[in-house]
Amino acid sequence: MQVHALPQSDASLAIQTTDLSKTYGGLQAVDRLQLAIPAGQFFGLLGPNGSGKTTTIHMLTTLARPTAGQANVAGHDILRESVAVRREVGLVFQESALDRTLTVDENLRFAGMLRNLSRATIRQRSDELLALFNLRERRHAKVATLSGGMRRALDIARGVLHRPRVLFLDEPTLGLDVPSRRGIWRFIEQLRREEVMTVFLTTHYLEEAEACDQVAFLASGRIIGAGTPESLVRKFGSYVLEIDGTDLGQIAELLSPRLGPCLKEGATASFRVLDERFSFAELQAELTDSVRAVRWRRPNLNDMFLWVNDPALNSGLDI
Amino acid sequence: MWRPVWALIEREIMRMVRQRGRLVSALVRPLIWLLVIGGGFGALLGDEASGGYQRFLSPGLLGMVMLFAAMLVSLSVVYDKEFGIMRLLIISPLPHYWVVIAKTVSGMVVAVVQAGAFAVLLAGMGYIAGNVSLPLLVLGLFATALACASLGMLIAVWSSTLDNFAVVMNFVIFPVFFLSGALYPVQQLPDILKIVAVVNPFTYGVDLLKHALVSGLAPPLGPDFPVALDITVLLGFSIVAIFVACLRFSHESAAGLLDFLRG
Repeated sequence: MQVHALPQSDASLAIQTTDLSKTYGGLQAVDRLQLAIPAGQFFGLLGPNGSGKTTTIHMLTTLARPTAGQANVAGHDILRESVAVRREVGLVFQESALDRTLTVDENLRFAGMLRNLSRATIRQRSDELLALFNLRERRHAKVATLSGGMRRALDIARGVLHRPRVLFLDEPTLGLDVPSRRGIWRFIEQLRREEVMTVFLTTHYLEEAEACDQVAFLASGRIIGAGTPESLVRKFGSYVLEIDGTDLGQIAELLSPRLGPCLKEGATASFRVLDERFSFAELQAELTDSVRAVRWRRPNLNDMFLWVNDPALNSGLDI
Repeated sequence: MWRPVWALIEREIMRMVRQRGRLVSALVRPLIWLLVIGGGFGALLGDEASGGYQRFLSPGLLGMVMLFAAMLVSLSVVYDKEFGIMRLLIISPLPHYWVVIAKTVSGMVVAVVQAGAFAVLLAGMGYIAGNVSLPLLVLGLFATALACASLGMLIAVWSSTLDNFAVVMNFVIFPVFFLSGALYPVQQLPDILKIVAVVNPFTYGVDLLKHALVSGLAPPLGPDFPVALDITVLLGFSIVAIFVACLRFSHESAAGLLDFLRG
């Protein structure tokens, strides 16, 4: 697993964590997390709601204190050098955090001044970013009058105003419609082309994560799989076999000895097929009348997500 | 360090100017007190000095303007918490205790601006006249505004929602205002009320403003305490309140502040 940390700190790593953990009351939100993310990488942390993604981001950006373990971000210790860490990172929060009483320009200026940028720098960067994000005509509009997509774009523009070395995007497209989501991704791709920065993304829209260099799956605060999106999908299985039927128990009983446990959703049971040369024709002959339909297809990150999300399945998931 | 602090002050001033209703009500509220309460009690007291009581009231009303203004700014801290803007502040590369200090300073500035406007209004209407010490007035405005803003910040760091802030406001603004020397001379209060007034830091702000504006009035209506005591109490209270607010605001600000004190 490539994300396992090296014990000594490494200057070429943008983010490095060792046994990073956070407990809230009795709940283990993040459990001994090991990450080693090289500078410039586009990294995706995936996982269901409540798996610890946001807590991880909050620890790495010094908003939350780890209960145990340590982390380095952009070469600074998150505990001992929190102000230095905050100088190097940009963070786009899950919920928009704009001042609705101010205009687009004023929001950017306020953020720039908080980061001690000069007025001239703020003006120049705002011009560039507003042009990139298609917000130039709205620069004097109050934030309250912007659409959800425009607000998100402004959130991101504000997050990169000071040219951070590491940009954290916490569910950047949550709650947006499809055209706005595509728009936001075009902006992020353009940004990545224009600036060298490490991007740390959390999302549960899996098709968005396919653009990542590396992804890691988090479940109950622990990483249960990591690698490139393609290699993860390959490791997950050669095919996904979906069987619709009335008696899923019977189907599971018949196939589980050969194919392992299955994911049941409604009237469909899904199996992971690891063998590239698996004979679906033979299987078809075996299946009884209780089966209404049989489909097989290549897996994708969504399949992984569903398996990771199921507590009965993720423990046996070897990825 | 100054640009981020200025960013916060500028934002509060922009808010104050944009919310005209807030600015107008900040001036109308004390004006009603001056004309209605001041006029009514002045007549009740029956002195030739109905105008005398109104003059006596003007330092207290300046204090009231600042108390309300500072509370509204600290309300904006709670507003910022609720709408996520506070996260923008704590993710900026400022030590966290600077966020508390900057918010307090912006509360002070807004309070001084509004009280300054009210003072001009009072002067125009003839309620500020005679033996006025301008340096003491300026000092009184800044010191009182600082104490009010620090008090507001102390409340704001303990309130997580706008609702519970509103409750606290009711239990703070009115007692602080009524149980001070704003409406009546402290010397003549019954014992229990006198003890409360002497403990209330706002009393010393009003008293400092009395030194500036009404030191010439006959004894019970003039200042109750020496100038040095007023300043010491106001600054002492502000420092302690800001310190406690920083400790409460975040782990990091507490640690940072302690490091700072150790040198």
